[in-house]
Amino acid sequence: MSEMLEFVTEVVEKIYKDLITKETVDLLEEGKWATTLWQQLVDNELLKVAITEQYGGANGDIADLLALYQLTGYYAVPAPVLEHTLANFILEYVRLTPFESITTISFNDKQMLTMTNGKLDGNIPNVPWARSAQQLVTFAQEGEVLKLIAVGLAQASIVQATNLAAEPRDTVSFQQAEIIAQTEINEQQLQKLIKYTTAAKLAALSGALDKAFQLSVRYSKEREQFGRPIHRFQLVQQHLANLAGEAAIATAAIENMAGALVNETERYEVAFTSIRLDEASKIVATSAHQVHAAIGVTYEHSLQHYTRRLWAWREEGLTTHYWQKQLADDLLQVENVWSWMTTK
Amino acid sequence: MKLPVVHFTQEQEQFRLEVRAFLQRHLKEGTFRTKCDSWLSGSDPVFSKLVAEQGWIGMTWPQEYGGGERSTIERYILTEEFLAAGAPVAAHWFADRQTGPLLLRFGTEEQRQLFLPKIIRGDCFFAIGLSEPNSGSDLASVRTKAEKVEGGWLVNGAKTWTSNAHDAHYMVTLVRTAPYDQVSKHSGLSQLIIDLHAPGVTITPIPYLTGERHFNDVFFENVFVPDAMVVGTIGNGWTQGLAELAFERSGPERILSTFPLLNELIIELKQAYDTVGLATASKLLAEMWSLRNLSIGVAQVLEEGGEVAIPAALVKSIGTKFEQKIPEIARLLVATYPRLQAERAFDRYMAESILHAPGFTIRGGTSEVLYGIVAKGVVAQ
Repeated sequence: MSEMLEFVTEVVEKIYKDLITKETVDLLEEGKWATTLWQQLVDNELLKVAITEQYGGANGDIADLLALYQLTGYYAVPAPVLEHTLANFILEYVRLTPFESITTISFNDKQMLTMTNGKLDGNIPNVPWARSAQQLVTFAQEGEVLKLIAVGLAQASIVQATNLAAEPRDTVSFQQAEIIAQTEINEQQLQKLIKYTTAAKLAALSGALDKAFQLSVRYSKEREQFGRPIHRFQLVQQHLANLAGEAAIATAAIENMAGALVNETERYEVAFTSIRLDEASKIVATSAHQVHAAIGVTYEHSLQHYTRRLWAWREEGLTTHYWQKQLADDLLQVENVWSWMTTK
Repeated sequence: MKLPVVHFTQEQEQFRLEVRAFLQRHLKEGTFRTKCDSWLSGSDPVFSKLVAEQGWIGMTWPQEYGGGERSTIERYILTEEFLAAGAPVAAHWFADRQTGPLLLRFGTEEQRQLFLPKIIRGDCFFAIGLSEPNSGSDLASVRTKAEKVEGGWLVNGAKTWTSNAHDAHYMVTLVRTAPYDQVSKHSGLSQLIIDLHAPGVTITPIPYLTGERHFNDVFFENVFVPDAMVVGTIGNGWTQGLAELAFERSGPERILSTFPLLNELIIELKQAYDTVGLATASKLLAEMWSLRNLSIGVAQVLEEGGEVAIPAALVKSIGTKFEQKIPEIARLLVATYPRLQAERAFDRYMAESILHAPGFTIRGGTSEVLYGIVAKGVVAQ
C-alpha cells in the first residue's frame, strides 16, 4: 500500500470510529439510510480511492481495496461502501467509466440475465442495496457472448429483502431494460472478476471475524464469575486461544491472497482463503458466543452484528462450495500436489 | 497479530528444487523410504551424514564454524522439503534446530569451536533434556540437581521422554543449580552439556506406541560435568530455554508430520477420479496453505530478531491439530487397513499417522499449556 493510501485508510477508519456505533448499525435494521456516514465519505472523496486519477481517484489497486473492506467488516459499516467501490473498480478494469452516484454489484455463478437487441431481461435475487443504488454492475448473456454491463435501477422492479444480518439484499427484475454501458468479456477476465469479488467479500468477512474476536477478549476481561474475570478460567482461555488463532490465520490468508492478486501470481489463494475463512467463521462465531454467554445471543450486545454478518457473508457471491469444486477439478490436472503448492 | 508476507526469491525457489532433486535421487536409490513423522521417528546417522555433505546442517550458522550463513527462510525451505518427502532426519534434528542456535547465542567460544563444526559435519548429535518424571509440561518443577564441586558440577537425577538420546552424543540438560524455591520456581535453573557416554549416565528405552524407540529415560548418578560445559550463565537456564522454544514451536514440523499421508490420499483420489473426495481433501490443503503463511511469517520475524513467542505457540497448537486431522479425514475418503508393515503406501502412512498422532499435541508443550500462553498474551494486549 502506498503512503497516500495508508493515509486514506486511516481517515476512513477515523470516520468509521466516530460515526458507527451499535446504534447506527441498529438503524439499518429499521431500513434507514446512513445519511451522515455516506455524506462524509463522499465529501472526503473516500469512495474514489481505487479508481484512476482520470476520474478523480487515487489509483488504488485491489490490495488497497481489500484493506478498506477489512475495515468495513470490522465496523459492520451499514452502507454499500464495498459494493460501490468494487463496482467502479471493476468497471475501470474492463475499461468502462465509473459512476459518481451509488452503484452496486452482483456476481453469481449462475447467469440469470439475458440481452436481446440491446435490451435486458431476467431477474437476480440477493442484490446488495439495490433499493438505494442508481446502477447495477453485473453479467448478462447475449447469445453466446458474456458481457459485463451497467444498468440503471430506475427501470427495475425491486422486491426488498434482507440477509441474515438484516443488510438489504433485494430481488431485481428487468423487462426490456436499457443498458448504460456494456463490454464483452473473455474467460480470463471472467475468472479475474470472480476472484476480485470473492476476495472483496472475504476481506470484509475477515474484518467481522477479527471484531468478534476482539469483543470476546474485551468481554472476558470485564465479566466476572465465581469471583474472578472469566479469562482466568482454563476453558475460557481455550476459547480465547482458538479465537486468536483463527483471527491470525484469517489476517495472514487475506494478506497473502492480496499479494498474489496484486502481483498477478494468483493460482489457488482465493480458493484456499474462501475455504479456510469458511471454517474460521464457524469456529469464531461458536467460540465468541460461548465466551459471551447469554448476553451475546441478544440484540442488546453488539456481538450479534458481527456473527450474523459472518453467517450471511459466507453464503454470498461465490461460496466455498464453488471453490472446493474448482480445486477438485484443478487437482485432477495436478501432477504432484507438493510441487503445485510450493513451486511457481 | 500481524506477520509479514514472505515472497520467495528466485534463488530460494532454485534452492528448493535443488533439495527436492537430492531427495528424489535418494528415494529412487533406496537410501531411505518415505515415512510419516520422520523428523522424530526416522533416525539414520548415515543419511544425516549425506545431508551434512550438502552443507545442509547448520546452514544458517557463521562460516567460521563451517556454517553456510544462509537465511532462516532457506532453512525453512529445506525443512519443508525433508518433511514432505518423509526423510529420516531425526538424528541431527535437535542439534540443528536447537543446540546450534543456543550455543551461538549463549555458549562460550570454546563450546562453539568444539561442537559446531562437528554438528555441521554430521558427526555429533544432541538430545534435549527438559522433561522429568513427574514434571512434563511444568518445567519449573525440574528437580535434577547439579552441585558445585572442584572444577565442575556433580549431576544427580533423571530426565524422561528424551527423544533420540540413544543416538545422541550429548544432551543440553536443564538442571537445578540452586535449591528449589517454591516462590520463584524459575530461578536457580541452568543448562549443562552432558556427555551421554560419561560414567554415571544410564539410558533406557521407553517404547513408543509403534513399538519403536524414540523416547528414553536418562539417569544421572554422580555425573561430573566440567565448568566449561555450562551454557550461558548459571541460574539463567529458564530464560535461555524460553528463547529456544520459539525455534521449536513454529517450524514446518508442526504442520507437515503427516503430509506423506495427505499426498498419498490425493494420489489415490485422483486415480479413482473421485472429485467429491478431492473437494473434501482441498479443505486440508487450504488449512495447510494458511498455516504455512503463518509459520513462514514467524520464521521471517525470527530472522529479523523479533518477538514471536505468542504466534509460535499459536502455530504449534493449530498446526499439530491439523497434523492429527489428516488421518481422520483420509480414512473416510479412501478405504484403508492401517498396518505398519503394509505394502500399500496409503495403509502404511495411515498406520504411522494414527500411532504417532497423539504425540503431536503433547511434545514441545501440550496444547493446553499453549492455549494458556496465547490467552494470557491476547488479554494483556
